[in-house]
Amino acid sequence: MNNLKKYLFLSIISLAIISCEDDSIPVANNVTLAFNNTFGNTTIVLGDATSTEATQNTSSENQVHHFSEAKYIISNIRLINKDGIEFPYNVNNLDTGATIIDQSNPSTLQYVLNGIPSTEYTQIKFGLGVKAALNTLDQELFPAFYSADKKLHWFWATGYRFTKIEGFYGETNTPLSVHTGSVLGGDKTDETTWSSEAAHARNAYRDITLDLTTNAKVGENAPKINIKADFNKVLSGTNKITLNAATEGYVSGSAPSHHTSPETMVQFVDNMGGNGDTDITGMFSIESVEN
Amino acid sequence: MKKLLLTFCILWMISSCTEEKVDAPFIFDNPEIAINIPADFPEVNDSFFTNKPTKYGVELGKKLFFDKKLSRDNTVSCATCHIQENAFADQNPKGIGIDGKIGFRNTPPIQNLAFMQVYNWDGNKTALENQVLVPIITPEEMDSSILEVIGKISNDATYIELFHKTFGDDTITGERIFNSIAQFEYTLISANSKYDKVKRKEGAIFTDNEAQGYQVFKNKCANCHSTELFTDQSFRNIGFPVNPNSEEKGRTRVSLNAKDLMSFRVPTLRNIAYTAPYGSFGQFATLKEVLDYLDKGVIESDNLDPILKDNNNRIPLTEKEKENLISFMKTLSDLEFITE
Repeated sequence: MNNLKKYLFLSIISLAIISCEDDSIPVANNVTLAFNNTFGNTTIVLGDATSTEATQNTSSENQVHHFSEAKYIISNIRLINKDGIEFPYNVNNLDTGATIIDQSNPSTLQYVLNGIPSTEYTQIKFGLGVKAALNTLDQELFPAFYSADKKLHWFWATGYRFTKIEGFYGETNTPLSVHTGSVLGGDKTDETTWSSEAAHARNAYRDITLDLTTNAKVGENAPKINIKADFNKVLSGTNKITLNAATEGYVSGSAPSHHTSPETMVQFVDNMGGNGDTDITGMFSIESVEN
Repeated sequence: MKKLLLTFCILWMISSCTEEKVDAPFIFDNPEIAINIPADFPEVNDSFFTNKPTKYGVELGKKLFFDKKLSRDNTVSCATCHIQENAFADQNPKGIGIDGKIGFRNTPPIQNLAFMQVYNWDGNKTALENQVLVPIITPEEMDSSILEVIGKISNDATYIELFHKTFGDDTITGERIFNSIAQFEYTLISANSKYDKVKRKEGAIFTDNEAQGYQVFKNKCANCHSTELFTDQSFRNIGFPVNPNSEEKGRTRVSLNAKDLMSFRVPTLRNIAYTAPYGSFGQFATLKEVLDYLDKGVIESDNLDPILKDNNNRIPLTEKEKENLISFMKTLSDLEFITE
């Protein structure tokens, strides 16, 4: 709260200064986040099992695969200006500060941040998924986000699925399915209990930090930040994952292929969202900033 | 001073009477109800202390528990699957919800939940209040949402009155719904079986078969089915046939630890005669089938419970022992609990 106050105070001061300079510059403007979901440099085309249109990708372990669905939640968005001041964007409100990126729906690929204070931004931070304190499927608090896509409800955990990927791999187009989300672990009101190794595995939320390749100059301009999400990393990121056929009886350590086995969920999560320590970008990178 | 105040109040009431009708003043009186904690039962869950059953909270929770409005098309209530005569479980292998959709696992009984630290087969919830929403929103159960439920009951005068009596005002919230249903469930305590009456020396005595069954139980079952709840609330893989649903990982779904694959919470044996079929997806029709399976040998796996591993993956039982064990388990039936 103190931080919030500090930021608010500072932002008001900097706004005041900026607006004093020239009355014609608006105090705030929009920033658009545009997501490009790719395999490497190729934008993903989705397709069913036998699709000839779908973008094929080959993993580092030589498994050819393609997707029929790719969705993920972006929330807790913060922009950092050149003075290092962080501007949180409705970070505690999923209705106004979170969005679902759905590759099958082009209108979801751009998310417009309204009323961003005029200044020059150098960095963006956002969460892949929903932070623990808000991850409760609370329809009363956030009715719009709750109803946005019920396929992203993880009913039994009463939380959200943070990523949902469906697709096919191998010569026979075996179904693959990667669902990630946080499960019970730690005290949701106390983030410090989410730091142990076990808690890291159970908390699938990841904070992403990206340096902007060009400063985003908000004011007269309403910049567009083009963000790439490279889904090649799902199987071929920090962790090299081989999809295996499901094993009868689920012998310990087996990884059923067509649904992510939970004991390996953290590997997928870290590939996509980084490990929060040595990797804070995961599959995301800045393609360009259009001022 | 008090007199003066009183006079003022009376004067004010009289004067306001001339302008508008004054309702009888609402006196908030919703006392906690006494919960008899049976001797030797384990510690109650911490959540119980922050949501202790109250007179009207329990009444409200009970009404909600039996109300089909909690489901999308008003066909399914909590009580549809949690049937009192089955110790608030049912007789289906797996739960059957809205549109006849078949769920994931066997419906657990609702009894003595105040004394449980972990709920459901995989322990995905540790507070009863947090469990209530799950069946309401699960597509194979009630397929509704909390705002839908609030919308349906908010025009019902009986509900409004009960919320008022329970919480002191008319506001209907999800949290209030969850808390009151949990309060009702906390009152469902089963501790009046023949076994209890024998233990409490209330005149009941075991038959020879039951007494011999109790000995077998103590020798071969009580490691896991311990305490007066007949469960140690631990998660174990005992090599039962595996649910064909590929989502099934047992406790691993919650712990994300491969050591917990196909481990489930040890089920209570109280009222076990009323809760057939048995197993996480109802894979055994009778208690005899369960015992035959354990005797014959279970599925080997890396994380099979050490007690079974050390005994060649089985619990050897003679036919006579099985018969006596079943006799003993039937002494855990609490007729009052399922009828009153």
